[in-house]
Amino acid sequence: MMDIARRAAHPHVVEPRRERTASENDLTVRLTHAEEALRARELDFQSIVESIPALVAVLTPTGQVEALNQPVLDYFGKSFEELTRWANSDAVHPDDLAHVIESRQKALESGEPYEGESRHRRADGVYRWFHVRGFPLKDTDGRILRWCFLLADIDDRKRAEAQLAGEKRLLEMVASSCALTDVLTALCKFVEDTSADCHCGVYLIDWNGPKFRIGAVPSLPRTFNDPCEGLTVSLEVGPCGVAALTKTQVIVTDFESDPLFQSCAIRPLSLAHGFRSQWSTPIFARDGHVMGTFAIFQASPASPTQVQQDLITQVTHIASIAIERALSEAALKRSEAFLAEAQHLSRIGSFAWRVATNEITWSEELYRIFEFEPHVRVTVELVLARVHPEDLALVHDMIERATSSASDFQYEHRLLMPDHSIKYLHQTAHGTRNADGELEYIGAVQDVTQRRLAEEALGKARSELAHVARVTTLGVLTASIAHEVNQPLSGIITNASTCLRMLAADPPNVEGACETARRTIRDGHRASEVITRLRALFGKKNATSEVVDLTDATREVIALLLSGLQKDRVILRAELTDDLPPVTGDRVQLQQVVLNLIMNAADSMRGVDDRPRQLVIRTERDGDDHVRLTVRDAGVGFDPHVVERLFEAFYTTKSGGMGIGLSVSRSIIESHQGRLWAASNDGPGATFSFSLPSRHAIRGLSVTDAERNAS
Amino acid sequence: MVIRSLVSVVDDDDSVRESLPDLLMEFGFAVQAFASAEEFLASDCVGRTRCLILDIAMPGMSGPDLQRELTRRGHEIPIVFITAHADEGVRPRVLELGAVACLFKPFSATALLEALNVALRVT
Repeated sequence: MMDIARRAAHPHVVEPRRERTASENDLTVRLTHAEEALRARELDFQSIVESIPALVAVLTPTGQVEALNQPVLDYFGKSFEELTRWANSDAVHPDDLAHVIESRQKALESGEPYEGESRHRRADGVYRWFHVRGFPLKDTDGRILRWCFLLADIDDRKRAEAQLAGEKRLLEMVASSCALTDVLTALCKFVEDTSADCHCGVYLIDWNGPKFRIGAVPSLPRTFNDPCEGLTVSLEVGPCGVAALTKTQVIVTDFESDPLFQSCAIRPLSLAHGFRSQWSTPIFARDGHVMGTFAIFQASPASPTQVQQDLITQVTHIASIAIERALSEAALKRSEAFLAEAQHLSRIGSFAWRVATNEITWSEELYRIFEFEPHVRVTVELVLARVHPEDLALVHDMIERATSSASDFQYEHRLLMPDHSIKYLHQTAHGTRNADGELEYIGAVQDVTQRRLAEEALGKARSELAHVARVTTLGVLTASIAHEVNQPLSGIITNASTCLRMLAADPPNVEGACETARRTIRDGHRASEVITRLRALFGKKNATSEVVDLTDATREVIALLLSGLQKDRVILRAELTDDLPPVTGDRVQLQQVVLNLIMNAADSMRGVDDRPRQLVIRTERDGDDHVRLTVRDAGVGFDPHVVERLFEAFYTTKSGGMGIGLSVSRSIIESHQGRLWAASNDGPGATFSFSLPSRHAIRGLSVTDAERNAS
Repeated sequence: MVIRSLVSVVDDDDSVRESLPDLLMEFGFAVQAFASAEEFLASDCVGRTRCLILDIAMPGMSGPDLQRELTRRGHEIPIVFITAHADEGVRPRVLELGAVACLFKPFSATALLEALNVALRVT
């Protein structure tokens, strides 16, 4: 802030101007001076031209070489006379010569300045690129007096441009996912083109071995390459082995004389193929491990120049990118293949859905699940066309919710396939907003058809099993009924026999006969009562559904049993909740269960004399939507190990009650969507409980008033 | 005075305990009825009983339990089992343990008399 303020306060302070340093500008200035001098007086061109430290040639208006400065003579390594015949010599690169002659001629004729790029042979035989400019020097009348040609060496720039273009081409190949072999081959050729008289090879390393694998060797003969393939990566193998293991560049200037590689495996092979020098450079992955080596072989002993070193650095870097990318692409392909296989096996497809653009990405397995043709563009409409008509509303609703805000959801729906088969799908989707704030969903879709069918089959098997269980229960009931009826029948027959005997005696015992006959009648009634009671329990084919207040129903059972319990010296404590939510069910059946539990409890305490025969009956709420009844006794209890056997038919040894057993009680409770269980007390005795869903908890089972009135 | 053989009845069912003694007395036996095995064991009738009519299924000590207990105590009382559970499997089991007969309720007076005759002949 202070600086700006100060600068604002001194508006006359300006930035210093940069110096013009370009040598060409410098020359132009000097030539302008020369021109002025020429106009002023006749001047010796030779002396001016000599004073310029660049390649300068002075031509006559017709193009004859008039003067050349010393740098020209030095560069070409030719005499002035030789150079006057330049068009018939090797001074200009043969490829450029025709063009140079033509352009020069055009300039001489038109008087327009000459400008062009061409290669010129240096004394050592190397052609270098030059930027050549020719200016006509005119007098005041505009007549051309001389031509002055300047040759600027631009070979380094040209080379750099060519190298850059080559590197760019290679990188483009990498970026466009060309095959690794193609990239590496192009890379080798590029180096061979750029640096004359050499052969290049890229050797990849498989560290499981470790072994060399040929990556690219475009100009090397098979007789050299075949023995190299699969060579072990070791220090003994040769320069590439050392480079890979020491992670450093290895320069063998001359195999003949290099003491370090006299006994290496590759030496005889190299010499047999006329390679005297080898430069091996490791190719590093980003994490620093060596993925391969880049080798340059040359027929004559040599060590790399700085230019060559720069080139090697560049190409090994490109090779590293290419190899690493190829490896990661291979890994990606492999993992994609794994994923596709896993999706296929698990019948799970995945999708991505960009809501704003309606762009849908569909996994291979999802195509299979939906039975879409591969590569068909998936649209919401296409998906909806597959949805089962009955589930369309559901799916529409889902899409509506999904498009309004990012949310996570899962739902199930069906597909109606073209062959009219039905598929069950389970979908899970996760909504997010991407960097642009657009809504995106990523989801998984599982084909659960088989599971569904299995579940249905299981459900069927279960109901069959339930049927078998019911039949079994009937068998148990038949036995129970037989037992219950046989007891009074036994009395009837015995009494009748006694009666007959008393009547047949002499004299007949009429009084005794009457007594036994009365007992016969009483036992008959008793048998009849058993039947009535059994009918009340099981006579109805279908259980009735009515609103039952469990506390009220329990009170009635207690009232019926109270005198019997008192006779058995059972101390009954009823802890009944008055405002229990009602349950739906068969009142008589539920009462039979209550009765059964109370009778069991009383029976279990029949032999108990060392403690009060206390029996606690409790009704209460069980969570929000259940009611529970508990009967707790202080009886003999049961072995916790046999708790489940208690509910098996016939497990009871009880003979005094109805004998329907806990198994029937349990099946009654279960038919009311409830649960019956037993637990040992901490002290003596056992606790039996059942829990029933309250009326509001059972949807679809509620009874209409009409039905209730009818029952 | 004829000394009648004592037949003891052990059954938790009231109607059996009421009806059976009368019939047995008509047959000419002395009778004692007990509602449980424990009650019988506690009585003074164990040594005098010539035949025991015994229910199989009873709360507490069952009929076969009593049979074993009597054997353990050295009382070789002929036993006629009676049961309301018409389980055919139970008969060979109790006969194997030395019972004279096993009658399924309801049984006829004739069947009972035959069993008693066999029982008393054993002694």
